[in-house]
Amino acid sequence: MDITYVGEHLLPGKIGQFFVILSFGSALLAAISYYFATIDKNDRAWFRIARISFWINAAAILGIGGCLYYIIYNHLFEYHYAWSHSSRSLPTHYIISSFWEGQEGSFWLWMFWQTILGILLVFRAKSWESPVMSVVMLCQLVLASMLIGVEILGERVGSSPFILLRDAMQAPIFSDPNYLSMITDGRGLNPLLQNYWMVIHPPTLFLGFASMIVPFAYAVAGLWQRRYKDWMGPGLPWALFAVMVLGAGIIMGSFWAYEALNFGGFWAWDPVENASIIPWFTLIAAVHVMVAYKNSGHSYFTATFLVMISFVLVIYASYLTRSGILGETSVHSFTDLGLFWQLIAFNLIFFAIMVGVLIAHKKHLPSSKKEEELYSREFWLFIGALVLTVACVQIIASTSIPVFNAVFGTNVAPPVDPIQHYNKWQAGFAVVVGILSAFTQFMKYKRMDARKFYAAAIASLVVALVLTAVVVYVTKVYTNFMYILIVFAATYAIVANGKILGEAIRGKWKLAGSSIAHIGFGLLLIGALVAAATNEVISLNSSGYIAVAGFDQVEKPGENLFLTEGEPVQMGDYRITYVGDSIAPPNVYYKINYEEIDEETGRVVDRFQLRPFAQNNPSMGGLIGTPDTRHYLTHDVYTLITAAMSETHLQAQGAEQQAGLDAYEEPAIYETNIGDTLRYRNGYIVVTGINRNATVENISKGEDDVVVGLNLKVFASSGEVYEAEPVFLIKDGATYDFSKDVNEQGLRFRFSNIMPEKDKLELMVYQKPVPEKKWVVFKAIKFPYINFFWCGTVIMTIGFLMSIFRRNKEIKSTELV
Amino acid sequence: MKKSSVIGIVIIALAIAMIIVMYTDSSTYSTFTEAKETTSELYVVGVLNKEKELHYEPTVDANHFSFYMYDNDGTECKVVFRGSKPQDIERSEQIVLTGKMVGEEFHASKILMKCPSKYNEGEVEVKEVSTAQTLGFVNGTNAN
Repeated sequence: MDITYVGEHLLPGKIGQFFVILSFGSALLAAISYYFATIDKNDRAWFRIARISFWINAAAILGIGGCLYYIIYNHLFEYHYAWSHSSRSLPTHYIISSFWEGQEGSFWLWMFWQTILGILLVFRAKSWESPVMSVVMLCQLVLASMLIGVEILGERVGSSPFILLRDAMQAPIFSDPNYLSMITDGRGLNPLLQNYWMVIHPPTLFLGFASMIVPFAYAVAGLWQRRYKDWMGPGLPWALFAVMVLGAGIIMGSFWAYEALNFGGFWAWDPVENASIIPWFTLIAAVHVMVAYKNSGHSYFTATFLVMISFVLVIYASYLTRSGILGETSVHSFTDLGLFWQLIAFNLIFFAIMVGVLIAHKKHLPSSKKEEELYSREFWLFIGALVLTVACVQIIASTSIPVFNAVFGTNVAPPVDPIQHYNKWQAGFAVVVGILSAFTQFMKYKRMDARKFYAAAIASLVVALVLTAVVVYVTKVYTNFMYILIVFAATYAIVANGKILGEAIRGKWKLAGSSIAHIGFGLLLIGALVAAATNEVISLNSSGYIAVAGFDQVEKPGENLFLTEGEPVQMGDYRITYVGDSIAPPNVYYKINYEEIDEETGRVVDRFQLRPFAQNNPSMGGLIGTPDTRHYLTHDVYTLITAAMSETHLQAQGAEQQAGLDAYEEPAIYETNIGDTLRYRNGYIVVTGINRNATVENISKGEDDVVVGLNLKVFASSGEVYEAEPVFLIKDGATYDFSKDVNEQGLRFRFSNIMPEKDKLELMVYQKPVPEKKWVVFKAIKFPYINFFWCGTVIMTIGFLMSIFRRNKEIKSTELV
Repeated sequence: MKKSSVIGIVIIALAIAMIIVMYTDSSTYSTFTEAKETTSELYVVGVLNKEKELHYEPTVDANHFSFYMYDNDGTECKVVFRGSKPQDIERSEQIVLTGKMVGEEFHASKILMKCPSKYNEGEVEVKEVSTAQTLGFVNGTNAN
């Protein structure tokens, strides 16, 4: 039975779907023609076809984005994507985030960046264009296949963002041609994603992921074209670019988690986080051995392998986060969209390419017959890369437990306490990497005099030891030997690289990039360690907890504190007061005042207000809190609402307040006269007069009708004065009355009778019951020295950027083609 | 043999040893019955007993939440969590607890919930077009 549906806008979806198919077709054509253009360099026809199809592909991808944006922006809820990820109440800037909340949108984002990178390559890659772009367009083809959403041989391939709601779901309402008028709103964006960092973090992260294809493609092209040594030149700045962008993207995610999520920290070793850091580690390692190879001729295979495996791991990361396999271990991954096997195929294709080219060219890979010197930079760069790889293997192994369970049918549980589990392993690696990145700075390539090395290394070592003692003392991490070791490793890295930086400023400018990046890394390490090791929950609740010696290890005091409105509570150094809330639908902001009081003088030293907010979103799982953080130079105070009264949330959802008399207590009935004063809970009411000329809207006054208003003045104890005029009406012999409310005081007045025989007026006063005192349950954490972490990240990124310029200059000066 | 190859092999051996250590270290999912026999922390997987009351009274103790759960063998046990009530636990279709038995109660240090997709697949919010504005939910099966 065909139904003609009313009000659907099918055109944007049709155009969008056309672009999806076009992007798939043009990517296929481009990949094939670039391939043949590489095989037969004399035939310019293939090359021309490749270029044309590349530009068509670029246009198609922009077209997909345009159509999807149009659909979301105009709230066309007949489309499943718009309905699932957006709603009418969403502010415009978050419409951008809803664009990539779904898997389809994030695949699109990946394709979009790959297109931008492709454009750069088309203009700048010169003789590398054909082989490199064959690989890039192959990846573009696989990504496009994720979006086509058509059935091939009974199997649905891809998931189109343009699928209609009525095709995506089956529900009885879709038999109604007018179903659209019943779907008034979409499900909206997950409140956790309604954060400005979610506008910027996914694009950065995906640019990082996407740019990893470029060094991979250069490596493949280098082997394929037997230009074994050449590819590292242009490959290195691209690898640095990918490392920089991905690193920045990961830390932005971490900042988002810290600012907006209720993790209570900046890194939780969640599988989704791990998935993004794995390729970052291997590519960092790759960059180091690439530099080593360029300067010494050693470690060619390691460099090539690490560059290639990094991109394969990017695909593995997308498999982990997108296939739903992490389901039990992560609450943050996507659910399966039916792309499970397609994602596995994606992995296999690029893994096969990597293994294929490496095996095919095994015999020809440049290798150095000479043994590395122990006192040479290339040797220790190689060791450092291996350590990073092993660190990475540990993360992969632990994160992949669900995958192994699925493959081998085992039932191994992931680590009980992931943060502790990963920290335990990674702390050791961090120490080794830190120390390596310090003393390797004093090594020279090829060969050097051991005595010179020791002279330089030991001088910095002494400075580092003194500094470590200071840092450990100030940040109070002396409780644990491992902490001290990490601080030492990081400080040594900072000192050694600081020395190099000092020399760089005095002339050797080109070395500055690497030393700045390493200094940033050292700071990041110290910040992460101190904040993670010494952060303390300050909202300790000692109520219901009686400390009895010997018994208190059974129950530790709770980490959540209960606050009643207006009642200050002492919490550590702070006196905190919950002073009320403000509602900005759909969020409720809870105002919590912090006052730091000097114990001796009793004066308030510091005062601030934090406004963590929460949104009650039943479809997303109830109350979702967003923390608020007070930032100081040396520490942060982080506050999160963990439970709150539900009434305020009902108001925030715009639920009508109960309007009937049910909302009031039993009325008090007074027989009054002009000039009388009546008491009520919060003040008093004065009957000021009678209005005989009262009118009632829409009711005409007949000859014998009586319309009388009673003038009342309400004096609240807080000083406000309100006026109200309930009306009494006799019409055609029947009596009516029209009540008046003073909502601010929770009062309702009815002028219910006139008793001429007693010369009295009957007034009914309704009062709302005393509202329950408002309360919140919250958690507060102090994060010391976390600014080192953010600051280190920024410095590291700057260092990478400087290195990119340096390496880029190098290829320009050597490039002949 | 080259120095780098030797070190490479040593490090790969270390990595394999590390993975073996990690896996012998790791636990499997267990049941309440197994939890009673040990004092160490472990995982218990199960479902919430929705018949019995979920107890959380922040006005009395903001850090005490208790509920009843069936493990995969069908054994029921009272679970106590020192913390605030996870918001969507009523909707959970599976719960993974980390913790240990203390007497007859399971003291959880962490609760991980699996919800029927956080995004309510297959549920369309429908508003009827009539003078009385009522909200209803239509449950549909998802064609995905």
